[in-house]
Amino acid sequence: MAIQYWRIRDRYYRLVGSRCAKCGSEYFPPVYRCRKCGSEDVRDAEMPKTGRILTYTVLHEPMPGFEAQAPFPLALVKLENNATVLTQIVDSPEDSVKTGAKVRATLRRVRVDGDSGQIVYGYKFVVVS
Amino acid sequence: MSRRSAYVVSEGFTRVSEHWEKSILDLAVEAARKALRGAPGLAPQQVFVGNMFSSSGASQEHMGALVASALGLEGVPAFKVESACSSGGSAFNVAYSLVRSGAIDSALVVGVEKMRDLEPEAVSQALAMAESAEYTQFVGATFAALNGLLARYYMERMDVSRDELSALPVIDHANAVTAEHAQFRRAITAEIVARSGMVADPLRLFDCAPVGDGAAAVVLASDSGAAHAKKAKMAEVLGGRVSTARFSVYEREDMLDFAATRTAFREAMKQAGLSSPKVSFVELHDAFSVVGALSLEAMGFSKKGMGAKDAKAGKYGMKSGLPVNTFGGLKARGHPVGATGVYQIAEACLQLTDQAGQNQVEGAEYGVTQNVGGVDTTSAVHVLGRAE
Repeated sequence: MAIQYWRIRDRYYRLVGSRCAKCGSEYFPPVYRCRKCGSEDVRDAEMPKTGRILTYTVLHEPMPGFEAQAPFPLALVKLENNATVLTQIVDSPEDSVKTGAKVRATLRRVRVDGDSGQIVYGYKFVVVS
Repeated sequence: MSRRSAYVVSEGFTRVSEHWEKSILDLAVEAARKALRGAPGLAPQQVFVGNMFSSSGASQEHMGALVASALGLEGVPAFKVESACSSGGSAFNVAYSLVRSGAIDSALVVGVEKMRDLEPEAVSQALAMAESAEYTQFVGATFAALNGLLARYYMERMDVSRDELSALPVIDHANAVTAEHAQFRRAITAEIVARSGMVADPLRLFDCAPVGDGAAAVVLASDSGAAHAKKAKMAEVLGGRVSTARFSVYEREDMLDFAATRTAFREAMKQAGLSSPKVSFVELHDAFSVVGALSLEAMGFSKKGMGAKDAKAGKYGMKSGLPVNTFGGLKARGHPVGATGVYQIAEACLQLTDQAGQNQVEGAEYGVTQNVGGVDTTSAVHVLGRAE
């Protein structure tokens, strides 16, 4: 389990997605092929770290590994380059988590891997007032 | 390419329930035997098992051979078909495509899922496997969470109210009261939906299909295969198509456009040579209330933004011109995920052979089944009619 996440740690730590070398379109999650121009020459690129909440939910029935955090907000964040990130919202007052709210990326502990005890880190977002 | 006719000769299913005393194989065999007994003289040439998570749910893979062997059908090719919650519809589509192409004359399709053996958190984890491990599961988003995000987006963008969103679950429960195989045979009100526990805000417990065990099976045959069965009551499969969309709903330009269902429906109807007004009823994939509403819009039965509103206005009730989920749908008949698509086919056949009892849609001529995996990532749509 842990190796699967270690392999793409840069994506989790620095929000590395894809940029099309041909037309410049950017994507997160990363893609294998540009959705605009069809080019397969897509390269790793760090995403902008700010955006706005497109929509959100508060999850009351979590998966194993996330029980201690529940209920917790999850949002779709539209970044400044138009890529959409699914992310947890942390360190933000409950009533600040709403559609249109401005947010920025931060690094947090995501889970402790049950089998190995390895701590997995990744992006979460914070509402900026 | 010349296409042959394909018929559903017989069907069989268990009640959707908490089958503590039965294994995943017990359920599959029970449904399959009922279907096979309804098709005397017909030996299926292939077996397809629709199932999503026998591996994590029952420590069991290799479902094709397991089911075929238990039925004494050793020798035939047998496969599991998996496409998350649309596994049953996809399994049926593979069998249908082979029969229709002339490659085989008959097939047994069994959909089965065993969910209740798992703790609730483990069910959430198993269902979440329909979505990206690295970008959806990783952040702790369950399948219900994704649908919760979608529901808020739908309600805010299209000005949909809580009561409007509740209309499809209310219809499902009303229809299930007289459906013997339904998991929950009691009527509910919009108030009950609105007061039920929060799952993934704004989705509440009664917006979400329940967790249950069940199996459904159908025997499919070509003209010559059906001739062996010497059976009067059959339904004809007039068209069927599986379509896939951009994988994660949040990667799509328009999250409210269910493109997989839109395409699958359009192509299946084209194969059937039918226009929408001819459709007598729809077995709809409403795993979540919002998914049912967006599916009705994708198939064009409701205009964009009007799926939930039309349901509230009475467009899809049992006495309306277009009843949906005539035995309770995913919310009340139940949603043993890999089996659901096959339940839908079996239910459509009951309607089209006048065997639906108190749930009969009077004068039903054509039925549509729509079975979705992920957030409309895979959609399997079939069109059935009365056999001539």
